[in-house]
Amino acid sequence: MNALVQHIRVSLRLHFRNKMALLYGYLFPLIFLIAFWVLYRHERIPLLRHMGELLTVSVLGGACFGLPTTLVSERERGVWRRYRLTPVPTWVVVTSTALARYVLVLSAGLLQLGLAFALGMTMPAHPFDLWVAFTLVSFAFIGLGLVIATLADNVPAVQALGQCLFLPMLIIGGVAVPLASLPDWAQHVSAFFPGRYAVESLQLCVTGAGLSATRFSLFALIVIGFAGCIAGAKLFRWDAQQRFAAIGGKAWILPVLASWIAVGVFAESRGRVKVAPATEIAVATTPAGAAPSSSGTKGAAASNATLPTASPPAAITATEAPTPSANTNATSPAPTPATTVTPPVTTAPAPTVALTPPPTVPAKPEPPWMKVTDKDVAALDYNVPPDQGIVSPIADRDEEVADFIKEQITTVQERLSTWEPGMDEDELQAVRNLLCVAAVPDSIQLPSERYVPRVVYEHLKERFPKDKLIKLLTWIAMNPERGMVLDEMNDLGIEGQAGDAYQVRERMYLYAIKFIARLTGRVEE
Amino acid sequence: MPRKQLVPAVASTYPRHSFPIMPAKVKVRDLSKRYGGLEAVRGVSFEVEAGEIFGLLGPNGAGKTTTVECLLGLREPDTGQLEVCGFDSRRQSREAKQRLGAALQSTALQDKITPREAVALFASFYRVAASPDTLLERFELADKANARFETLSGGQRQRLALALAFVNRPEVVLLDEPTTGLDPHSRRELHVSIRRMKEDGCTVLLTTHYLEEAEQLCDRVAIIDHGRIVATGAPRELVAASRSALSVTLTLRPGIEAALLASVPGVDELRVEGGTVSFRTRDATDTLATVTQLLREKRIEILDLHVRKASLEDVFLALTGNGESTPEAGG
Repeated sequence: MNALVQHIRVSLRLHFRNKMALLYGYLFPLIFLIAFWVLYRHERIPLLRHMGELLTVSVLGGACFGLPTTLVSERERGVWRRYRLTPVPTWVVVTSTALARYVLVLSAGLLQLGLAFALGMTMPAHPFDLWVAFTLVSFAFIGLGLVIATLADNVPAVQALGQCLFLPMLIIGGVAVPLASLPDWAQHVSAFFPGRYAVESLQLCVTGAGLSATRFSLFALIVIGFAGCIAGAKLFRWDAQQRFAAIGGKAWILPVLASWIAVGVFAESRGRVKVAPATEIAVATTPAGAAPSSSGTKGAAASNATLPTASPPAAITATEAPTPSANTNATSPAPTPATTVTPPVTTAPAPTVALTPPPTVPAKPEPPWMKVTDKDVAALDYNVPPDQGIVSPIADRDEEVADFIKEQITTVQERLSTWEPGMDEDELQAVRNLLCVAAVPDSIQLPSERYVPRVVYEHLKERFPKDKLIKLLTWIAMNPERGMVLDEMNDLGIEGQAGDAYQVRERMYLYAIKFIARLTGRVEE
Repeated sequence: MPRKQLVPAVASTYPRHSFPIMPAKVKVRDLSKRYGGLEAVRGVSFEVEAGEIFGLLGPNGAGKTTTVECLLGLREPDTGQLEVCGFDSRRQSREAKQRLGAALQSTALQDKITPREAVALFASFYRVAASPDTLLERFELADKANARFETLSGGQRQRLALALAFVNRPEVVLLDEPTTGLDPHSRRELHVSIRRMKEDGCTVLLTTHYLEEAEQLCDRVAIIDHGRIVATGAPRELVAASRSALSVTLTLRPGIEAALLASVPGVDELRVEGGTVSFRTRDATDTLATVTQLLREKRIEILDLHVRKASLEDVFLALTGNGESTPEAGG
């Protein structure tokens, strides 16, 4: 026990004396965080939706690069050979090295959280769950780091092997690039990489329902971590003279590969591979009056039985949503349970999420959006990303459509007037659904992302009287987290899903603002 | 080249020196180890008695380090039995290591670790541990206790390696080429340390290719060559037992033909290079009488004459075949 504690203590001290290790261990995650902050600067709560990715990057760097680099360089120097002369058992040094590394990645994660808070991020929904998930993510990646250390004969080999795991996980493994914007095959590949499960489990603790909603990811991380730690300990080499090619028991690598494959196959078999519904943000309470058409609510709830309905992150709605006007709440008879909306998980050509023919609706109270005043319109924040940018772009009225997407734009134009969700009896929901048509191509960065919003805007102008449209859009911009979100509109010829209702809502909000700015003459057409 | 078997490779042929009779602290029986096609160690056997300084002496590549590494558990022997303090060094390696201190040819530690931290860390690996301060004091590292390893000189690093070897108050200390690469001053200091280990009741097994070091330090040595032990015993016994206990060098004018002296009884290993003649003999008086008689008859003048006692080096060279693997004299 004494040896374990002493070795952890010495490992940590040495780490803090090593400038390069500090640079990799702390500066690198912070740089990543700043980069994300800049990249997603238009999000309403800075960084909150990316903490899963950011924390995963920290752990990946510390566990898959930092840990094996230290281990292998010490082995190359002969430090471990010297340990070998003492009676200290292998498990003690391996465990203490892993624990010291855990302390380091945990401190790097806390540092990231601290900086994120300083930049305006709100409290994660489930801090304790987040710590548990972080620990399991560390366990999985430290196991992986131990395996890299056994495979690599020298430090350059660690770098090469580390990159071979790091980059694919970053790019097609769902760590740095949202899975939803990746092609199907990449989503299938990502199911075999632990990075995806790390991001999912962490993110659900930050903006989702916590650990209870991410059991599969946690299970995947534990399986991968165990396989890695066992193989890492079994194949542990004390001496740099023992090359990997020459050691026995190489079969211990198989459990590691087997664990990745098993997790991937299991995920495939349970239909968990395509677009994760994990990043949905539940809405705490929705006043009945403000709720979308009741049929829609039912449909969504029914299609979503597995997701929690009593949803926790009050912090988000409370701190973030512009306070819905008090009178709206006052008029609402009783709050309905929260609704969550997710894109359909199946690939079948299910038309839209939430639409079933509405039953006969009893006489409704005056819809809340009617109470929107000019003051409310003026109070909106018109400081939005530029029309020519990456986020919420919108083509000029007379802008020529590129040839290769002309057909797609024409299709959207033609079908929009008869598109069922756009004709929803509840006009508020109809406008929302139409905003989704503008928001989804932007979320998934389709080539048509500049032109579809223009088509939607023209369609809205045609359909609604100007004043009514301004009120509807303003209400949506004031309550971006209410109501339903559509994420699939194949019937309009728009293929793909954002897989992230939060992002769609955000883009809807931006387009609503942009449309209002045009309608009210704040922006010239 | 056929090697002359001047000394039988059985230690018991020679009288045991005056240590109290105790079970041997280190026992190596019939140790063999091959790397691929190379037989590094071929049936090595020896015992190290409690309280003695025992030297494994041999040229580079003779198998010394492999023998020590097998004892330390760094290598898995192909055959043979190894015991340290009564514990099988393979099956009971943890118990053996509890009682064993070791310093390898070069001890590498992390660049940023300090001697104090290193000693404290290694102390935590053992059941019994010496006080870090005492150790640092004893190995003259007290003023460097908080310096980083990367800033230590070669001699300081070597002393730290020794301090680490003593961290568990070992019964047996294994030192692999402890003085290699040290300057003469550090080397002398180290000799003092090693003698002190013995005074403290430690049993010391060291390897070296410095003959003078072995002669000065060791109570007994085993000479190892090509993976085999070719002689074991106290250095002066080995020298005394050598057939050519004396070495004679003559400078003559004019020169002489080798054949003339080769027939003289008692002349061994004759070498003639121009006017310089050297040979070994067990009885200088008789041999020289015959030689001078012969020279007078041939009217050859003696310009210079040296007779000196044979050293361990001479024995060593005689045993290991001097051509291919010359050890370094000095120390």
